Amino acid sequence: MSRSARSAPAKVRDLVTVKGIRNGLLFVLADDVDIADVLEELEHKIEGQIKSDGTLTAYVECGQRKVTDDDERMIRKLFATHGNLIVGGFAGAPTVSSLRHKDPYVFKGTVRSGMLIEHDGDVVIIGDVNPGGQIIAAGDVYIMGHLRGSIHAGASGNHQAVIAANYFEPLQVRIAHVVRRAPDVRTRPAEMEFAYLDGEQMAIEQMAYLAQYRAKMS
Amino acid sequence: MGEAIVVTSGKGGVGKTTSSANIGTALALLGKKVCMVDTDIGLRNLDVVMGLENRIIFDVIDVASGACRLEQALIKDKRFDQLFLLPAAQTKDKLALSEQSMQTIVAKLKEQFDFVIIDCPAGIEHGFRVAVTGADQAIVVTTPEQAAVRDADRVIGLLEAQKISSPKLIINRIRPQMMKNGDMLDIDDIISILSLDLLGIVPDDEHVIRAANQGEPTVMRPDSPASMGYRNIARRILGDPVPLMNLSVDEGGLFKKMRKWIGLH
Ligand SMILES: Nc1ncnc2c1ncn2[C@@H]1O[C@H](COP(=O)(O)OP(=O)(O)OP(=O)(O)O)[C@@H](O)[C@H]1O
Ligand SMILES: [Mg+2]
Repeated sequence: MSRSARSAPAKVRDLVTVKGIRNGLLFVLADDVDIADVLEELEHKIEGQIKSDGTLTAYVECGQRKVTDDDERMIRKLFATHGNLIVGGFAGAPTVSSLRHKDPYVFKGTVRSGMLIEHDGDVVIIGDVNPGGQIIAAGDVYIMGHLRGSIHAGASGNHQAVIAANYFEPLQVRIAHVVRRAPDVRTRPAEMEFAYLDGEQMAIEQMAYLAQYRAKMS
Repeated sequence: MGEAIVVTSGKGGVGKTTSSANIGTALALLGKKVCMVDTDIGLRNLDVVMGLENRIIFDVIDVASGACRLEQALIKDKRFDQLFLLPAAQTKDKLALSEQSMQTIVAKLKEQFDFVIIDCPAGIEHGFRVAVTGADQAIVVTTPEQAAVRDADRVIGLLEAQKISSPKLIINRIRPQMMKNGDMLDIDDIISILSLDLLGIVPDDEHVIRAANQGEPTVMRPDSPASMGYRNIARRILGDPVPLMNLSVDEGGLFKKMRKWIGLH
C-alpha cells in the first residue's frame, strides 16, 4: 500500500484541536464553521482533558473568527463547568513577554492536598489552602482564608512578589528563589500578614505595611 | 431505589473496613436491607471482620466477568436476614474490575437494597476510582493524626472532582484523654482543615479488635464505646439528629464543643 493511500481516508477535520504547550494547553477553534458546533466539540475536548490532579491553563486561539462577548462568555463557562482548566486568554499561545501582564486568577474554594494551581500572574484564593496544596504564581499570591499549604510567588524570578493571607501558617513559602519553611514547633497562625523579600531574606510583616512596601518598590 | 455510600480514606489502616462492617450491621439492626461490597481486591478483609469468610464461593470479579450471577455471589449474614456481603476477590488481578462493571453491579444492588455500603481500598489509584464510581455519597474516615488528615483532604478533593457532593466525615480512634492533653489533633482543627460535615466520632476501643478477631462487628455489643459511636452514625445516616456521644473527660469541655459541630446547642 502506498503511503498516500494510507493517509487518504477523508477524515472530517477536528473543529477543536488541543495542543500541549509549555505553560498549559492550547485549544485551537476552527474559524470557518458555526460557533455552536465548535462549542459542542469544545465541551467534549475539555472533558477529555480532565485529570484528577492539578490544574492547567488553557489558551484559546480563534483564528480569523471575530469572537463576540457572548461567545467568550460561553467558552469561559464551558471551561468553568467542565474539568479543572483555567482560561489563560483568547490570544492563542502566550509569548514569553506577555506572561508578566496576565489577569489575576481567582479561585473560589478550598485548595486541598494534591491540588496545584499554576498561573502566570497574580493568584487570589477565596478560601483556604490546605497542607499539601500548592500554588505557583509568576506574580503575587493573596489568600482570603487560612494558608496552611505551600506557595511559590514570583516563580519566574520576580523578587518583588508577595504572599499574603488572612491566617498565615504556611508549610513553605518561596519568593523567586528564596525559600522559607514553617517553624518546626507549631505556633498560632499570624493574622493578616504577608511575606516579601528584603534583599535575600524573606520577611514577614503586618498587612498594613503592604501599601508602604509597594510604594517603596515603585 | 437504594443509596450507595462509599467508605474511603486515602490512608490505609484508619478504619474503612471496620466502619463499613459496623455501619452496615447497624443499619441492618435498624431494620434496613443492606448489602456491603468489598472492593479491596487482593486484600479482602470485610468477610473476615463479618465472620463470613468460610461461605465465600464467588466474588465481585466473578460477577463482573460473568462467571456467575450477582445473586450467586451475595452472602447472607449469619445474624440478619436483611444483611448481605459481596466479597472481594483474593487472588485475581484487580484490573479485572472496571469502573463500568462496578457501576452496573452497584446499580443492580441499589434496586434490591436500601443501602449499598462500599468498602474502598487504601490509596487513590485504580481501586479507589472503581470503588467510588457507582456511589451516590461518600464517607471519609480519618484518625486524629496529621498524615491521615492530609490524605483525607486529598481524597475529598478527588471526590469533589468526581462530582460526589459533600462527603461526610468520621473521625475514628479518638482517645479523649490524649485529645484533651493536646497530644492528638483536636476535632475542631480537623473539621476546620477539611471543612466537611461531621457524621460522627468513634473512640479508640479494644472491643473493636476483639470483635474483629471473633468475626462479630462491634455494634453487636451494646456496651462498647465504639459500638455507640457506630450506632449513632447509622441513625444519622437515616436522618435522625442524634447528638455526638459524650466522651466524658469532663462535662462542659469536650462534650459541649462537640455538640456544636453537629449543630446542636
Ligand atoms: N475505633 C477503633 N478502636 C480500636 N481499633 C480500631 C478502631 N478502628 C479500627 N481499629 C483497628 O485498626 C486496624 C485497621 O482497621 P481497618 O482494617 O478497619 O482499616 P482500613 O482502613 O480498612 O485498612 P486498609 O486500608 O488496610 O483497608 C484494625 O486492626 C482494626 O481492628
Ligand atoms: Mg480495609
